[in-house]
Amino acid sequence: MFNDMFFRLRSLFRRDAVELEADTELRFHFDQQVEKYVKSGLTREEARRRARLDFGGHEQLKEEIREARGVNLIETLFQDIRYGLRIIGRTPVISCIAILSLALGIGANTAIFSLIDTVLLRMLPVQRPEELVQVLRLNPARGGGIDPSFTNSLWEQVRDHEDVFSGAFAWSQEQFDLAQGGAVQNAKGIFVSGGYFTTLGVPTAAGRLFTKADDQRGCPALAVLSYGFWQDHFGGAQSAIGSALSINHQRFQVIGVSSPGFYGVEVGSKFDVAIPICAAAVFDGKESRLDRRSWWWLNIMGRVKPGISQNQLKARLGVLSPQVFGGAVPDWAPADQQSFKQRVLLSVPAATGTSDLRQQFKQPLDILMGVVGLVLLIACANIASLMLARASARHKEIAVRKALGASRARLIRQLLTECVLLSTAGALLGILFARWGTSLLVRFISTGNNSVFLDLSFDWRILCFTATVAVFTGFLFGVLPAFRSTRVSLTSAMKGSQAVDAESRAKFRPGKWIVASQVALSLVLLVASGLFLRSLVKLVTMDAGFDRNNVLIVHANLHNAKVAPEQQPAMFDEVENRLRALAGVVSAGRSVMTPVSNYIWNNLLQVDTPNPPTGDAALAFFNFISPGYLGTMRTPLLAGRNFNDGDTKAAPLVAIVNEALARKFFPNGDALGKYFRVQPEPGKTAPPIQIVGLAKDAKYESLREEAHPTAYFPVAQITDLTEEQVFEVRTATRPSALVPAVQEAVAGVSKTIPLEFHTLAEQVDDSLVQERLLATLSTFFGGLALLLAMIGLYGALSYLVAQRQPEFGIRMALGAPRGSILRLVMRDVVIVLTGGLTAGACLALATVGVLQKMLFGLAPHDTFTFIAAIGVLSAVAVVAGYLPARRAMRIDPMVALRYE
Amino acid sequence: MAKKRIELPQGTLDLLILRTLALEPQHGWAISERIQQISSDVLLIQQGSLYPALHRLERRGRIKAKWGTSENNRRAKYYELTKTGRKQLELEKDTWKKLAAAVAQILETA
Repeated sequence: MFNDMFFRLRSLFRRDAVELEADTELRFHFDQQVEKYVKSGLTREEARRRARLDFGGHEQLKEEIREARGVNLIETLFQDIRYGLRIIGRTPVISCIAILSLALGIGANTAIFSLIDTVLLRMLPVQRPEELVQVLRLNPARGGGIDPSFTNSLWEQVRDHEDVFSGAFAWSQEQFDLAQGGAVQNAKGIFVSGGYFTTLGVPTAAGRLFTKADDQRGCPALAVLSYGFWQDHFGGAQSAIGSALSINHQRFQVIGVSSPGFYGVEVGSKFDVAIPICAAAVFDGKESRLDRRSWWWLNIMGRVKPGISQNQLKARLGVLSPQVFGGAVPDWAPADQQSFKQRVLLSVPAATGTSDLRQQFKQPLDILMGVVGLVLLIACANIASLMLARASARHKEIAVRKALGASRARLIRQLLTECVLLSTAGALLGILFARWGTSLLVRFISTGNNSVFLDLSFDWRILCFTATVAVFTGFLFGVLPAFRSTRVSLTSAMKGSQAVDAESRAKFRPGKWIVASQVALSLVLLVASGLFLRSLVKLVTMDAGFDRNNVLIVHANLHNAKVAPEQQPAMFDEVENRLRALAGVVSAGRSVMTPVSNYIWNNLLQVDTPNPPTGDAALAFFNFISPGYLGTMRTPLLAGRNFNDGDTKAAPLVAIVNEALARKFFPNGDALGKYFRVQPEPGKTAPPIQIVGLAKDAKYESLREEAHPTAYFPVAQITDLTEEQVFEVRTATRPSALVPAVQEAVAGVSKTIPLEFHTLAEQVDDSLVQERLLATLSTFFGGLALLLAMIGLYGALSYLVAQRQPEFGIRMALGAPRGSILRLVMRDVVIVLTGGLTAGACLALATVGVLQKMLFGLAPHDTFTFIAAIGVLSAVAVVAGYLPARRAMRIDPMVALRYE
Repeated sequence: MAKKRIELPQGTLDLLILRTLALEPQHGWAISERIQQISSDVLLIQQGSLYPALHRLERRGRIKAKWGTSENNRRAKYYELTKTGRKQLELEKDTWKKLAAAVAQILETA
């Protein structure tokens, strides 16, 4: 081993000495041989000739010795790199095109992969993340449904039996309002249990973090800041510790700052402020969520004790489950309570934290990874064509080097080194593109309501990925040209250009294959982007049952404004009336829910018709609305009456239902005037509600849904206290322009009401992030692929035309009409195109099935999309092919023949 | 006419070189001469395979090289066996004998 190393190094660094030694050795052998022949009776002249024949090529032999000494690998690598750089520099345009298209391809791959890495693969930056598990609850009764949410009572049970773990903690994310009045100032808050920071092992940056003592019932209002928030809002000042912070209009005291680099355990968001779970009582008052046994707001994680396997943990949680659930039974119907006690605690590994993004973006990211992979392949194919063309130009050079004793393997290595150099340059530039692209992507998937935060620092995994991609692509586009161009027949190369020309037709064949495969891959991408684009267009242009344009949505929270509950309805009415009277307002309404808002409210309905829907089929979705709501949303009332001032709390209960509800519960089409009940809490009875109006279907939860059965009730008849309501304001002009006027109008009623503004269009757009992401990116990459493929086609044909110029010249001189030359070239285009399109269509048909779930309103095998993609591709290909063909047609036979 | 010469099977050359060097250090030309002589001109070692083989063996530490003076007073590179080379020789000699015997047996009986 050591000997080997020493030997190679000596060969490398004492190169001249070693070369000289080899020379001396070989010359000695040669002379000995000559002596031998002379002794056997030959003349000296004859002896030398014989010896030289025996010997073969002196240089070849030396090359083989070098090979045997193992110099070559390292030494020739440096040589090859130096030589490769020279070659790359000699053809700057080709090299730039190659590096740029590689940079785009590799950059796109790196960008998508770094998103996948940060969202799906990366470990939490805490101590020994591999020990973390998330605790879930399994409901055996409901077909094994698994849910990650817990009530505080359940968490307290788990906490009291914490010894299953070496530590456990609970947390809950919530938007906090830090403003002291007026416009809402949102911050990302988390409720955390006392063991949160200590169990995770998060260091302190300033002050102190929570301990279990801080999380006791009746605890003082304390807060811990994240490092980023401390820097942004307090400039990192020590004086922040001990200062006061207003959270949801309550006074909290800052006690410390967690370390930089810790953003919480939910990937995709970061926390600004953490407060103990017990502090929820400060916000909720008497009926705090700490004691509500049906309020599922907490998530739980634990740290597995060293040496305990997942199976052992599972067994222990199984034993513990009856105690935990038995100690936190909600006030449900006895049957439901029984089933509640049957539930079981589960655990899943949580080294990478948890994330809503995973479910939402796993599939789009996988699809995009495939898309950018295809783009990279197409870029590789392009560069392979370039390399092939260049290799033909270097035909002579290669022949000469071969004649001088270079082995084919050696030449191939040289050519591959050039390719890896190109792809390394592409990768370096690509990493720059990727940095920029990833932050662009994150901004893309962030929405007004839910800004996505990802720690995008590069880690070893991303760098490994990029390096692998770079080397792999270098070989991919290098191998074919390297093998082909080194298959030089020395005699034909020496004979001159005629022989080369005869070979060139055969030489174009791999070029054709490359272009055809580019066409095929581009078609797949075009079909995919066509499908996504059409889905998005369908979603955006469909009739959602409401008009999203020019509607300003104003959230008003009277709880935080500390308005007494009995004054709230009148105050809401007052605000609505003032808004309606504003200049520039077409109409105004108010409601508890808004469409496509991520919030839903549903329950089971009971009707007296024969065979009513039961179980989950009886689920209906609700909203409380003012008389102005339907008109403002432009949801047409099809029959019956709208709500009016007569529908007061004291008046009979009434509802307006949509067509879906009417169809489902009253299949005979006679819903109007009928009664239904909302399933009551156990032991209570629900009053009958009369249907007085029938509204057109409108989307409730998402644009993708079949309209949910929906019932609207008058706001005046709200049963529970609803302290946050939403005003919808239809404006004559741009909705956001009305914000100051709305603020002023609300301030006229009360100056303390916190307000939050959105537009309905934004809200709907935000629900289409996935679709827009896929449509935009796949269209961008589809276009890029098309461009690359056409450059490939154009380049390959131009090359072919240049090669066949003498042939065309002869044909024309012999009287062939120009049109026939054009046909000759276009025939190649058509052959390549037909082959590529057929292969591409088959490939697309075979693979688009995986896109099914991401599409809306069309099947993956959508004929229109396929035809359109084929049409676009053919049209562009014919143009790209016509340009060189026209050049062939215009060849002057005299000029062409003069070259012969 | 010279006797018909036989191509060496892959890897055999190394064994022959080691065996030749087991007696005394030799330079390249002498090695090829010796193999040719002892094999009664059946085996002719081409320089094209001899020198790469020598350098490969040297790299692997089976033999080492020293510069010396030849019979006719010229500088020549002499190769000699190292300790590992000697061990390797014994090992390969055994293997070769077994192989040869086995091949012979099959050719005779099968």
